[in-house]
Amino acid sequence: MTMQPLYIISACSITAQDTYNRENFLNPVRSIDDGRLFVIDPDYTKYINPVAIRRMSRMLKRGITAGMRSLDEAGIKTPDGIIVGTSRGSVTDMEIFLHELIELDEQALNPAGFIQSTYNSVNGWLAMLSKCTGYNQTYVHRGFTLELCLFDAMLMLSEAKEKKHLLAGAFDELTPEYFTIRTKINYYKEQLPNSLNLYKHDDSTGSIGGEGAHFFTVSNDPANATSSLRSLAMLQKPTVAELQAGIDNILKENNLDKEDIDVLVCGMNGDSRTRSLVDTAINNCSANTTVVNFKHLGGEYDTASGFGLWLADHLCRTQLIPSEVTCKVGTSASVKNILFCNTTIMGNVSLMVVTSVN
Amino acid sequence: MEDLKRTLKQQIIDSLNLQGMKPEDIDDNAPLFGEGLGLDSIDSLELMVLLERNYGIKIEDAREGRKILSSVQTMAEYIQQNKKI
Repeated sequence: MTMQPLYIISACSITAQDTYNRENFLNPVRSIDDGRLFVIDPDYTKYINPVAIRRMSRMLKRGITAGMRSLDEAGIKTPDGIIVGTSRGSVTDMEIFLHELIELDEQALNPAGFIQSTYNSVNGWLAMLSKCTGYNQTYVHRGFTLELCLFDAMLMLSEAKEKKHLLAGAFDELTPEYFTIRTKINYYKEQLPNSLNLYKHDDSTGSIGGEGAHFFTVSNDPANATSSLRSLAMLQKPTVAELQAGIDNILKENNLDKEDIDVLVCGMNGDSRTRSLVDTAINNCSANTTVVNFKHLGGEYDTASGFGLWLADHLCRTQLIPSEVTCKVGTSASVKNILFCNTTIMGNVSLMVVTSVN
Repeated sequence: MEDLKRTLKQQIIDSLNLQGMKPEDIDDNAPLFGEGLGLDSIDSLELMVLLERNYGIKIEDAREGRKILSSVQTMAEYIQQNKKI
């Protein structure tokens, strides 16, 4: 089966920068010194009624709002399917439930924390609010979670004989306790730099923490699309040579030479263990290519690639590359073809080719 | 009894996260479910946990539970007669 491009009709991200209000993105730039880039919470009451909202954790509200806003912006009331990913689900609710389990000796436990902490809570709410009785799937695959959602959406839309719209996205949450635990396994840096200086500290292991919710209304119909995801590849702990081969393959699949790439969206995270992979992607660029980063703005988490894909779509939409994300300026005057290369702390890499749709 | 009802109302507000609500906003005899506070089935589970945790009362029979949880007045009366803590 030939995979069709995934047309992105709308994109909504809730991150540590004001991506929710696209016009305020990076105005001003938000930075932190404690290694924890928590999101800017928008007004959640627009899409969630007051009776339901009182029981919801920030993560649940965030996922629902990003998903509904994406549908709203696409002008789609009821999508043909909902595909959502999360690496950890609602961590706050899980922590509440586990703490009560210990404190109350497994007796008289509050049900809300347990009910809302399940991985598919956001999917269920989105289905109810959008009245979607179609396909509803949850992916939980650590650093490849969003990628598998998008891959599933590509397969579905490639098989479809008629025009379809799907809501695809992912979310993950950072809590102080979660940050402490992950610091112990070298996920975050011991000596925490200011977030904007993250890449100057890529001689030590770990990154900085982040969280976010990213939703995309996608279709097999290019009408009203701003960009298209043409190809997607996942490489499990590749060597430098394997990553180079992966980049060559994905460009060849799309009949692109490296000179055709206007922007490289690079998911570098400041971790010394993935530095050689990042260098491979950057060294592969021609003089035409502008290299941009985003994890100094949103932090590292398992579904951070959502921020990268939102940024790729945003660059296609605006045709402007903000200096705050730029690490190398290329000669190309427009944003047509984007190569997105995301690296995770685990050493996995995902590659995407995103092209602007006029 | 009045003290118990005031305490109970505050516990309901805290337990169900009824934001912006004060004990005096809840009428003693107003129905908690449907009309009145408009609580739902998950809230009823939360209220049962509240009774067990704060007053040592376990509601085993769902029909009985429905009567007990119908208003703050009925809850307070049941607590006064059956509390173990």
